[in-house]
Amino acid sequence: MIAIINYKAGNVASVKNALERLGSACTVTSDPEEILSADGVIFPGQGRAGAALSELQKARIDTVIPRITKPFLGICLGMQLLGRFSEEDNTKCLEVFQGISRKFPPTLKTPHLGWNKAELTKKSPLTAGITNGSYFYFVHSYYMDATEDQTAGTTSYGFDFTSIMQKDNFFAVQFHPEKSGAQGLRLLTNFYELCL
Amino acid sequence: MLVIPAIDIVGGKCVRLTQGDFAKSTLYSANPADVAKDFERQGTRFLHVVDLDGARTGFPVNSETILSIAKSVGIPIQIGGGIRSYDQARGYLEGGVSKIVLGTAVIENPKMLERVSRDFGKSRVTVSVDIKDGNAATCGWLKKSTETAPALIAALKKIGIASVIVTDTSKDGLLQGPNFGLTKLFIDEGFETIAAGGVTSLSDIREFTKLGAYGVIVGKAIYENKIDMRNAQREAAYKSSLAKRIIPCLDVKNGRVVKGTYFTNLRDAGDPVALGKKYCQQGADELILLDIAATLESRKTFCDLVSAIAREISIPFTVGGGITTIEDIRKLLSVGADKVSIGTAAVRNPRFIKDAAAYFGSQCIVISIDAKRQNEDFIIYIKGGTEKTEMDAVAFSKQMAQYGAGELLVNSLDRDGTQKGFDVELLKRVTDSVSIPVIASSGAGSMRDFLTVFEKTNVDAALGASIFHSQEKSIMELKRFLSSNNIPIRL
Repeated sequence: MIAIINYKAGNVASVKNALERLGSACTVTSDPEEILSADGVIFPGQGRAGAALSELQKARIDTVIPRITKPFLGICLGMQLLGRFSEEDNTKCLEVFQGISRKFPPTLKTPHLGWNKAELTKKSPLTAGITNGSYFYFVHSYYMDATEDQTAGTTSYGFDFTSIMQKDNFFAVQFHPEKSGAQGLRLLTNFYELCL
Repeated sequence: MLVIPAIDIVGGKCVRLTQGDFAKSTLYSANPADVAKDFERQGTRFLHVVDLDGARTGFPVNSETILSIAKSVGIPIQIGGGIRSYDQARGYLEGGVSKIVLGTAVIENPKMLERVSRDFGKSRVTVSVDIKDGNAATCGWLKKSTETAPALIAALKKIGIASVIVTDTSKDGLLQGPNFGLTKLFIDEGFETIAAGGVTSLSDIREFTKLGAYGVIVGKAIYENKIDMRNAQREAAYKSSLAKRIIPCLDVKNGRVVKGTYFTNLRDAGDPVALGKKYCQQGADELILLDIAATLESRKTFCDLVSAIAREISIPFTVGGGITTIEDIRKLLSVGADKVSIGTAAVRNPRFIKDAAAYFGSQCIVISIDAKRQNEDFIIYIKGGTEKTEMDAVAFSKQMAQYGAGELLVNSLDRDGTQKGFDVELLKRVTDSVSIPVIASSGAGSMRDFLTVFEKTNVDAALGASIFHSQEKSIMELKRFLSSNNIPIRL
């Protein structure tokens, strides 16, 4: 069973649709016990960092996430909340990863929205079988300024930023795999298989 | 971003000072023109030349040397130091210098600035803002003024300055790294900003690229080979692999896709679920579904339809038609829409967009604009193009971007259903006035129309309906055509 963390700010319907299409059993939950006992956890995100973090705190999930030992996948804001800090609402985040989330400069169209390429900079089970330079769907106004050792993929928008991260059992992607056609489904399949 | 080497001149020679101190100078070359030519050979696209004697004395001292530099290279140069009068400025600008750099003293002498701007253009003047310990310094860095950065910003805006060079003089020449926060302050205020002072490493250059600086001036680090010009330029290069999107649109009435001209004369075009799935398989980058009847009775079945399509596709899904409340948005997102498109309600109640963006995030709020040409302008229409307003389309676009819209879908009532091509003029005006993504809509009749709109305007996506429904062209065929014409496309 894969737990999809529901904390009001996230768009969970499309992640659930995608997992069901892959034949994965999943549950949408904000219950810490259920999250801790799942075979894998997906942490989707949409909305603002400050509001999302306070919802996590209310549901007492903020302290649970760093303790998870099963495969964990953060998506979009779900990736940014795993960093140390976000410039969005000056939010102290969960510190699973080292990076901080910074706003794109005013010289770039924001949000960074659309299909962009991910260059795979490191081998990761999450991206097995995915062609280097494949397109994924992005929509975000802040980007993760991450350390190189935790970066597994980068994307160019004005400059190169981190779009795929991994540290032990924690994986995260800035794009929306559930909205990224065949390559996105491949990535979710990889994650699902890690949870079996 | 431009990487701009600095050539500082004292007594006709190329030198470097440390923290602006004339007693701490190092001679680099007796012939500044040779230095300039050398930078040009290394691929430099712009040079920053300073008459240090001029800056100290208050009038140009090395102008002959500087004009000979301008003549000896084929790249633009800017010059600063001691320019206080209109005639001095004219001497340089007519002598082959591209841009003059004035000190902040220009705030006290706006008449001279006005005259230079009028005769040579605003783009040929930049102001050098030297900050030392948080306060502005003028006159060769020897005198320190009491103006703070925010006060300076207000003063520069007032006299119409658009471009600045920002130097933290306490960092200059120390090779200890620059002051990023100070530069960011000016970039965020909308100035075309060149950063200077203390640029030491390639990572400094990367950082300024990320901040959105227009350029960065490097001095000592380049003369002392701490930074290689070619590597620096690679670090500063603008990179983007973001693709242009092709979006099929399904206009739905009573559960069927319809097509028509000017929102009328509707004909049946098929089943929305089957069409959505087909377009997704053909490589559509996104799907838009609009409930064009949008009556209360049709609402429930429309939500079922959204849910049915969402289950079949794995690309972003935008839904619109008749949305007027936060609850409408919540409902559509909960059944599987990723974004909502709002039209009439945004015009009637702009505050609704502010609330919606704050609540759901900008990324899921698309504003649909129906515009029609009226003399030189474009005017907004509402209610499916049936009701005219007095609102200007460009002004409205700006307002929506400011209120937190994540994207604009721009329809042309003059072109809708005509298959005569997109309204390039309208789209140009909108994309030039906002810095959020824009989707071109209305008028797509051929593959060439799509190519034209991507080549001639800065739109991020283009929408088609009839051209796809009629099976004239498949989406993949169109995408291959665009890609073969060098438009970045996801294939």
